[in-house]
Amino acid sequence: MDEMTANVSTAAVRADGLSRRYGATRALGGVDLGLERGITGLLGPNGAGKTTLLSILATVNEPDTGNVSVFGLDPRDAAERVEIRRRLGYLPQELGYHRHFTVAGFLGYVAILKEITDRRRRAEEVAKVLAAVGLEARARTRIRALSGGMRQRLGIAQALLGQPALLILDEPTAGLDPEQRLRFRELLSELPGNPVIVLSTHQADDIAAICPQVVVLLQGQVRFAGTPAELAAAAAGHVWTAAERHPSAHVSWRGGDGRWRHIGDSPPAGAEPVAPTVEDGYLLLSHAAGTR
Amino acid sequence: MTSSSPDPAGSIAGADGHPADDLLASYATGRAGGVAVWSVEAHLTSCARCRTTLAVYADAERLARNQSVLLVRIALPEGGRMRRLLCRCGIPDDMLHLLAATPSLRKSWLLSVAGVLAVVAGEAVAVRYGWISAGSPAGAFSGHPGPAVLVPFLLVAPLLVLAGVAAAFLPMFDPAAQLAVAAPFSGFSLLLIRAVSALAAALVPVLAAALVVPGPGWLPVALLLPTLALCAFALAAATLMEPRAAVATAGALWALPGLLLAAAHTPLLIVQGNAQLACAALLCASALVVLVRRNRFEMGWTR
Repeated sequence: MDEMTANVSTAAVRADGLSRRYGATRALGGVDLGLERGITGLLGPNGAGKTTLLSILATVNEPDTGNVSVFGLDPRDAAERVEIRRRLGYLPQELGYHRHFTVAGFLGYVAILKEITDRRRRAEEVAKVLAAVGLEARARTRIRALSGGMRQRLGIAQALLGQPALLILDEPTAGLDPEQRLRFRELLSELPGNPVIVLSTHQADDIAAICPQVVVLLQGQVRFAGTPAELAAAAAGHVWTAAERHPSAHVSWRGGDGRWRHIGDSPPAGAEPVAPTVEDGYLLLSHAAGTR
Repeated sequence: MTSSSPDPAGSIAGADGHPADDLLASYATGRAGGVAVWSVEAHLTSCARCRTTLAVYADAERLARNQSVLLVRIALPEGGRMRRLLCRCGIPDDMLHLLAATPSLRKSWLLSVAGVLAVVAGEAVAVRYGWISAGSPAGAFSGHPGPAVLVPFLLVAPLLVLAGVAAAFLPMFDPAAQLAVAAPFSGFSLLLIRAVSALAAALVPVLAAALVVPGPGWLPVALLLPTLALCAFALAAATLMEPRAAVATAGALWALPGLLLAAAHTPLLIVQGNAQLACAALLCASALVVLVRRNRFEMGWTR
């Protein structure tokens, strides 16, 4: 935790002691976070506070207490908040669309909100992001005619407009099929300018595949910050497979090979220890935090 | 080339009548200028050999990019006749694009407003021509149908304008509101652009209907100030309370006195004398609050 605190103090995007309540519900309770350039995955169950945290970093929400610094800028200052927003690409968890817009029209609208007022430059930016998400053929399609996956890709496209230095994506892979998720991973890896990217997800395999850094958020607090390998290693010695389900395991499920995979404190007789995965480490942390 | 017209590539053609390879290369990479470009293009339209030669020098990625940009420029809405007319009047295209996201500026909304006005104004007109029996005349308004016939119009007309302005700023009417908040474009500017445009768009049919209803000749002018005050109050109140509650409060601020005065058979008092003074004061105070608390519009409605 000391190393994490030290990393927070020098990070490109910093959050210190963030707290936020909605009535009696505590969404965030003293979150310290540091994000460097590159991709950071934010992992946590529903209600963990991921969306609240991301909305605060995206300057669309205010914390009750705590500070945020984005590239040295303070969102509490009106002028600096605008400057943050100039460098920001944001995909909210539940993005609505003006359904009467075409795909290109909607992107043009968002481009204007991002102060891309020159018509030619706007067209170039829209063309670029359409190509990046594979929606070039849908430029003239009305949004109401798009499938859920296409709308999600459109949401990613609008976040990419203007080559943001900070990209905040809340559940970006929701609704994407495996091929599209693979393409999304490639897209993030190839973004120019090495932006700070933070994405939230429930999918541990997305974390393992594309995020050099992962933060686990449980019950409004950061429970882990490190690499996926370190998260997996946290479950070392706690994961085994067996032919039968064992009641003492914290978490059990049957794999595709018919054997039961267990996460717990001690293996039963006849169980075989296996190398832990990122998901195993996450599940173990969740159990320790009392969320499972 | 065997055309009888002068060879457009004549000045740049080599001995064989075709542009040199280095000229084609510079054309393909966008380095050729002026007359040379025109000459080469005119030649290419009728020479398959040079088109094939050109393909060797063309940057495929640049061509694909240009094609994408062209397709997008086609797809970016040029807009209908109204939009083109507004552009010719000097309104920037990007502002019109922002307004296209405002529900109360869409044809369906404006037609609905016109429809409601047609009903309430039509009722008053029907009384004027005796198709529906009128109330008894009163006081200074003798010679007109009873002022009671104007009650529906007086109540509804400003509320229609308020509804249009509310639709321009309430997050529930903007599915992409979070994107607008997270963008550098000033939230206050966006609100003003949309609200003023919605106000103007709704005022036109309202004032036109006020000219038609069989009331006093000063009615259209008298409606203007209360309508503006109502909308300004809603915006000001939205900086202090939840936006939907602010709009509901503004609506009640108009409807309740209107109904009370209607019950007392003096509905036109809501647009006369002291009421006009009160509306002027409310408008000024609301404008001041909106200006002072404009940062509230930069943070969305999360609190």
